[in-house]
Amino acid sequence: MNRPLSAIAGGAAGMALLSVMLVMFEVETRSQIGLFDVIARFVGLPGQTALGFILFALAGIFAWPLLFISLENYLPLWPDPAVRGMGFAAAFWVGFIILGRGSLSGPILIMYGITTLLAHLAYGFTLGAVYARLSEESP
Amino acid sequence: MNPTVLFVAVLISLVTLALLRTTGSKRLLADGGYIEGVETTTREKPAGILRWITTVDHADIGLLYLILATVTGLWGGIDAMMMRTELVTPEATVWTAETYNALFTVHGTTMLFFFATPVFTGLANYFIPPLVGADDMAFPRVNAIAFWLLPPSLFLVRAGLITEVIAKVITPLGLPTRALFAIEPPAIGWTMYTPLSRAATNPEVDLFLLGLHLSGIATVLAASNIIVTIFTERDSSVNWANLDIFSWTMLTASGLIIFAFPMLGSAMIMLLLDRNFGTFFYSLEAGGAALWQHLFWFFGHPEVYILVLPAFGIVSYVLPKFTGRKLFGFKFVVYSTLAIGVLSFGVWAHHMFTTGMDPRLKASFMAVSLAIAVPSAVKTFNWITTIYNGKIRLTAPMIFCVGGISTFIVGGVTGVFLASIPIDLLLHDTYYVVGHFHLILVGIIVFAMFAASYFWYPILTGRMFNQRLARAHAWVSIVGTFLTFSPMLLLGMMGLPRRYAAYPAEFAPLQQVSTVGALILFAGVGMWLWNMIQSYRVGAVVTDADVWDLRETGQFSREWEWFERKLSRK
Ligand code: HEM
Ligand SMILES: [Cu+2]
Repeated sequence: MNRPLSAIAGGAAGMALLSVMLVMFEVETRSQIGLFDVIARFVGLPGQTALGFILFALAGIFAWPLLFISLENYLPLWPDPAVRGMGFAAAFWVGFIILGRGSLSGPILIMYGITTLLAHLAYGFTLGAVYARLSEESP
Repeated sequence: MNPTVLFVAVLISLVTLALLRTTGSKRLLADGGYIEGVETTTREKPAGILRWITTVDHADIGLLYLILATVTGLWGGIDAMMMRTELVTPEATVWTAETYNALFTVHGTTMLFFFATPVFTGLANYFIPPLVGADDMAFPRVNAIAFWLLPPSLFLVRAGLITEVIAKVITPLGLPTRALFAIEPPAIGWTMYTPLSRAATNPEVDLFLLGLHLSGIATVLAASNIIVTIFTERDSSVNWANLDIFSWTMLTASGLIIFAFPMLGSAMIMLLLDRNFGTFFYSLEAGGAALWQHLFWFFGHPEVYILVLPAFGIVSYVLPKFTGRKLFGFKFVVYSTLAIGVLSFGVWAHHMFTTGMDPRLKASFMAVSLAIAVPSAVKTFNWITTIYNGKIRLTAPMIFCVGGISTFIVGGVTGVFLASIPIDLLLHDTYYVVGHFHLILVGIIVFAMFAASYFWYPILTGRMFNQRLARAHAWVSIVGTFLTFSPMLLLGMMGLPRRYAAYPAEFAPLQQVSTVGALILFAGVGMWLWNMIQSYRVGAVVTDADVWDLRETGQFSREWEWFERKLSRK
């Protein structure tokens, strides 16, 4: 498969996993973090969770994967796209943490950090792994 | 209609239907095996997802167990992290007290029944047949059923959360969700003490009991399979004298399961009847609170040995491989395993020293509880003498074994203190108890699992893992375990009771240290998960079966020979 399509497929797989993880985390943490409000704040639409999530999902399926492959030759470190994907997603996570945090404070930030980092790493890994598999770039 | 009644009715009708359909035409034996003399043909395994759903191959089922247990273990881990987050500050600021109660309930239940037990069943499924020279488990189909009962049991036990996920997802579609939201996570503790569990109005408690009962059935099926396999499927070259130590401990633990789990099952059925059908087994007037405690702990104490014996087995199995020596006093390790198996049924009331039991009874339970420390100590000394003067290789599995012994010593010795009545009166239901059992549950049980996962990784995946990362994981886990659970011993000695979301401010520093420890442990788990997944994708492919240089010391055991045959067939 060609590279952009492989990347989008990877983004779709990653986004599916990310959404499931976010819903699970949101319920598991008894809606104390308000992950979907965080997402809405992150994409700049505070209060509009549904629209915010759709934008977020579209970005995760199209924009980020395409950015990922266009930056591919410049991303440092590892030869394995899955690992590169994780580094790439971790960079977004930093933005997510800063922009989405809102008024969260205190110990809940520990859970906020852990859950969102896990979700982002899983996204990046899936993106890179599926991309590598489909575009047959050897890890 | 009451949801439990409905559920039971549906179950009964399904079973009846299934029975009606199968009687007559099929020529299967009750255990799922074929009647002799009937032609059987071997077929290729189907590809893809169908293979995993229909498999009756012991190795496939073993892997399924391990994968399920990884998911549940991570889930229980997130529960734990949530509790530690709550405990960073003295006030209950993050989660409500009710949520906190639900957290320790589901954490304990998930970890014991859906994480620890399945890991050992999975390892047993995968490795006991090659270790005893069998082609497969004795009852392959029973094996598959035993596994497939677990996901629905997990669903029932954690229904409060899962129904909420469903409700959240379908709310935007405008579908009715009130019933789904009514099922809340249970908050009755993994010990399910009456009268609380009897009186709780949350309908999820019924599902919780049914789910645990179902998982108990699955566990008993798996245990029977292990016992029969070891008794009847052994190769002629494997006898009781040279049966490996891991199979010995799995055999003993399975024996305990056969006696302990039906007890829990019956006790829970009585509780269900009390809750839904107006019986009064556990009514306060009839002394029901004490009855439940006796029944529960008659199961509960053997249960802790059901979990720890296989871990002992793994340590005893792996340790010699990296010291270049035989297990010191093999025979006595086996005898002490059997001794623990028998004694473990005679100590249950040490969980009830603070109830109004007759002091003479208490004293006898104290005596047996002190006695059970002896076989545990025998094992510890055997391990130490196995290491002594050995040619030690500090590989990741070895570091986990040695670290596991060190944490087990602290965990075990604190147990001896708790077994003494005057001390227990002070420490019962404090953090000291939590520290005690976690130093064992995490300290040796989880450590042994990690050791096994690294030691056998080449067999399980055909690839090698990142050894340096694994060693780092081992050291991080040892530090994390001591840092998380030793402060709990101190907190308990200072008198802090367990199972509260809020606590007096003077305990905050130690609680925070414990949370930092938990974060370190959790980071270690991340390293493990990464290593497992990434090495499966890109790890070096194993071509020589003697990954650990075991031939040199004559310890190239049966499961590795089996692996070698598999490699050469490729
Ligand atoms: C050396 C042998 C051991 C002795 C003498 C011992 C003794 C005790 C005693 C007396 C208690 C009750 C404390 C209280 O609630 O006041 C206790 C609790 C507990 N022990 Fe042990 N123990 C031993 C080994 C183990 C092992 C091997 C495990 C786990 C695999 C374990 C797991 C637990 C658990 C889970 C509890 C708490 C149960 C609860 O109340 O929720 N113990 N132990
Ligand atoms: Cu006990």
